[in-house]
Amino acid sequence: MQLQLITLLGVKLDTEVYELLIPTLAGEIGVFPGHEPLVSVAVPGAIMVRYKKGDADKDLEYFAISGGVVEVSQTKVRILVDEAEHGDDIIEAESKAALARAIEMRDKAKDQVELERAHELVDRHTVRLKVAGLRRRHHRQ
Amino acid sequence: MASTQVLKSRIRSVKSTKQITKAMQLVAASKMRRAQDATKASAPYTQAARELLASISGHTSVAHHPLFEKRAVKTRLLIVIASDKGLAGAYNSNVVKLYAEQLIQDDKAGVKNATIAIGRKAAQFASRIKDTQVLGVYQDLPDRPDGSELSAILDSVRTQFTSGSVDAVDIIYTNFISTVAQVPTVQRILPAGLDATEQTGTSGDATYEPSSEEVLDNIAYRLVEAQIFQALLDSRASEYMMRMVAMKNATDNANDLVDDLTLEMNKARQGAITQELAEISGGVEALNE
Repeated sequence: MQLQLITLLGVKLDTEVYELLIPTLAGEIGVFPGHEPLVSVAVPGAIMVRYKKGDADKDLEYFAISGGVVEVSQTKVRILVDEAEHGDDIIEAESKAALARAIEMRDKAKDQVELERAHELVDRHTVRLKVAGLRRRHHRQ
Repeated sequence: MASTQVLKSRIRSVKSTKQITKAMQLVAASKMRRAQDATKASAPYTQAARELLASISGHTSVAHHPLFEKRAVKTRLLIVIASDKGLAGAYNSNVVKLYAEQLIQDDKAGVKNATIAIGRKAAQFASRIKDTQVLGVYQDLPDRPDGSELSAILDSVRTQFTSGSVDAVDIIYTNFISTVAQVPTVQRILPAGLDATEQTGTSGDATYEPSSEEVLDNIAYRLVEAQIFQALLDSRASEYMMRMVAMKNATDNANDLVDDLTLEMNKARQGAITQELAEISGGVEALNE
């Protein structure tokens, strides 16, 4: 089936895939070719992509996404998110530092606007860090 | 006739101005290219959001959603996008002119007005106007916006609209049609419309999780976000384009001026030499007598 990962900054991925795991409001869903048509709300988290049937776990790829909308049809999966980042592009140490900064900002926030922004940043970097961790775990095997 | 000295220093100053405008032209050109690419890249997102909205509208009643609610317009919110810096030709004045027209229109219709200004030039103008209430000012947005800077704007727009403080939201931006045409435009953002997408609605048989309302809420929000983002990118591309043209004109003018001044200086120099020669030969004449 065709996967389209579309962000505000452009089409991130447009390719043939076999299996997908997508975090949604109703829990994580697994999608294989021929899935029944579904529209759901994606939450910040990691998308797992298996490109071909029989690909080993170490060949899985991960994308950190922010919230968005998922549309599944018989032949196509379209994921509409603000941001998506490939696991390989995330530098773990950098994310860790960014998370620490975001947490500090949250604790020191003076007003509601700043607090909300900080919460957003904390969520974002937590997800990124998680994706970076997933990648490392599989590649070590 | 001005002295050679004065002309020389004027030529020097015009030349250094020319170097600056030339540099600004090149910077604007490269930024414009990047902004233009970004404008193209974000189009699929808007397109996909529209398609999703169209298909969901066949499934659930869209009209009752708070972001789609059509009310009699008593207060209108205008989001005005201009630049932080000047020297961009008519870019800012075009936007401000359109904004002023809209304000007059509201005034005549007895509609109250609120403004969110993006860019210093828009903010400066809006703060001087008595007819509008400025709700927010956003300045120094990054050169390459990635959407995250929009969340504050988006949240305040949504709260204003759903709480009923404003009944319509329009955005004033500069539409980047091509490299030679940038047109200031007013676009309705809220209540979110379904224009140009009504005919589809094919995947009415899809399942909606957790509920169609929740999905609709998300899509509507994303569509509004995409529209504002697109407007921002278009404005950026237009700004750089117009700045590039303005700076090119300035460079050309500086070239002309240097040519004129050089001619004048040469004339003055030659005049001075001729006069000196005449004086010398006059002196020799006088000695010979």
